[in-house]
Amino acid sequence: MNRNRIRREHLEQLREKMSRGLFPQWVITDPDVYELELEQIFSKTWQFLGHESELREPGDYVTRWMVNDPVLLVRTQTGDISAYVNSCTHRGAQLCTADCGNRQTFTCPYHGWTFQLDGTLIGVTLGNKVYGEELKREEWGLRKIPRVESYLGMIFGNLDPNAEPLSEYLGDMKWYLQMLVGRTPNGVEVVGAPQRWVVDANWKVTYENFAGDPYHVVTTHSSTVEVDISPRAADLPPRTGYHVVLDHGHAMNLGVYRDVPERPYQGMPESLWPLFQQQLNPVQLDLLARSSIFTGGIYPTLSFNSAPHGFHGDFHNFLNFRVWRPLGPEKVEIWSWFMVDREAPDAYKRASYQAYISSFGPSGTLEQDDTENWARVIQASRGWMARNKDLSYNNVYNYLMGFARLEPNEDFPGPGTAYIGFNDNTSRSIQQVWLDYISAGIKEGEQ
Amino acid sequence: MNWEVYHGIAELLYLEAHLLDHRRYREWLDLLTDDIRYRMPVRITTERKDGDGLEAGMTYFDETKSSLAARVERLYTKTAWVEDPPPRQRHFISNLRVQPAEQSEEYNVLSYFHFCRSRASEHAMEQLTGERRDVVRLVGDEWRIAERTIICDETVLDVKNLSMFL
Ligand code: FES
Ligand SMILES: [Fe+2]
Repeated sequence: MNRNRIRREHLEQLREKMSRGLFPQWVITDPDVYELELEQIFSKTWQFLGHESELREPGDYVTRWMVNDPVLLVRTQTGDISAYVNSCTHRGAQLCTADCGNRQTFTCPYHGWTFQLDGTLIGVTLGNKVYGEELKREEWGLRKIPRVESYLGMIFGNLDPNAEPLSEYLGDMKWYLQMLVGRTPNGVEVVGAPQRWVVDANWKVTYENFAGDPYHVVTTHSSTVEVDISPRAADLPPRTGYHVVLDHGHAMNLGVYRDVPERPYQGMPESLWPLFQQQLNPVQLDLLARSSIFTGGIYPTLSFNSAPHGFHGDFHNFLNFRVWRPLGPEKVEIWSWFMVDREAPDAYKRASYQAYISSFGPSGTLEQDDTENWARVIQASRGWMARNKDLSYNNVYNYLMGFARLEPNEDFPGPGTAYIGFNDNTSRSIQQVWLDYISAGIKEGEQ
Repeated sequence: MNWEVYHGIAELLYLEAHLLDHRRYREWLDLLTDDIRYRMPVRITTERKDGDGLEAGMTYFDETKSSLAARVERLYTKTAWVEDPPPRQRHFISNLRVQPAEQSEEYNVLSYFHFCRSRASEHAMEQLTGERRDVVRLVGDEWRIAERTIICDETVLDVKNLSMFL
């Protein structure tokens, strides 16, 4: 295996550098590291598959990917959600190539085997005539994604049958998800289909960008402030930026006003406020009332963003979740969903949608510049010096902001470890989680 | 179809492509009517029985003249990194078909596009193909674009971003 080229001494060196706030550059796009990530991270962690609102009726389906595994996600006759490997059990043809639709059965175009929504094989072309009685149909149903669990309508899959339950994996992130997707009784819904496009980027960089890097906003996104697509910090009431480090590599960033602003709850419409009060506890409610921005991530590849943007100073907040589906160490296919509270008035839904496409997604005036910068990281990561595993060229990234200086903030009311202001604590903790996963793949004594 | 109308509309679309390719975005805005509706729906792959995949309920662009103007102004700031250094871009416009629309002075115009973009020293061109369903209006004696729907052939866009106008 290729991964033998990563030796234990490299791990020790990684651990040592990271303990000093340095992150070796070679690991970003190293092909051997990528193989280890497939084996040690993507085969074991909970990955986002979709939202329940994308599957409204029995028979509704969407097709998704868990990196390279094709997934068929369906709502069954009993109303449950099931996820199968989107590959026929006969000779493996991809069963369904549409992005979404509604069906009672799925027939494979290769030899005609037919499966029900519950996965059962119900049709075998020429059946007993060619197979005799021996074909046990119950053994040839669609193969399930080993684990599928949901939280507040967010559906996740896991390829590891022994994975810890989603609820435990999410841990303290659930508290924040309640504020984002569980703040109204009927929750949020996905509007339309996800936007999808391919960028030159490494998934670790894009994940960290949303989870731990508000620092980039100052430079990368200064143009949108200049032309009134994003609010000017000086025009806003005093607020504090919190980085919140959570377990398992999850993270939150919150921009929180000191006092409840004139337009509380990120400017969301007043008709929703009593619903927030029903759904949230007083601490969450106060934090939501004072919040301006949320960004963050659920490790490894789900990120989210809720911020006010819009053209000509007409700012509205929106809620966006996206998956960074790795297509190799240097490419990511982005799947980006716009979501909105079902109970919100139509005028707000419309304004929020406009705010989203004005700023994020491939046409977004902020995200356009992100894609440029992520590509630049890739292009400068292929060299002899960048890839040097002995670090002879000082080829380490700087994760030193706030290092060994910043104490956790004790007054932050939410769960997790909060730090105030720009700092790399979240980014360091995310990459530490990455290292722990990777280390498990390099066994004792392996050279 | 009146040749003069066809020719006038073809000239409009070629002029538009020229202005966009040379990043003369402010002049491009002048070719749009003030009430323009500029949209690019998200396209999805559907089973044949479910239609052409254009009713996905989400877009990449859903713009007015004012929002397009804001996008243009951003590209002229000193920190619009996506176009600094500017990529080289080319709009190939073809397969032009013109039909009178309901309103007099307006025409339904179908054109195909092949967009190519070369960024920095990258060897691979980014590309998009598709069609545009426009409404073109005669304003005084000038042709203007009053409506545009961009239909892309790809459901997963193999471009880093949509900083261009199609
Ligand atoms: S591969 Fe599907 S029926 Fe043969
Ligand atoms: Fe960004």
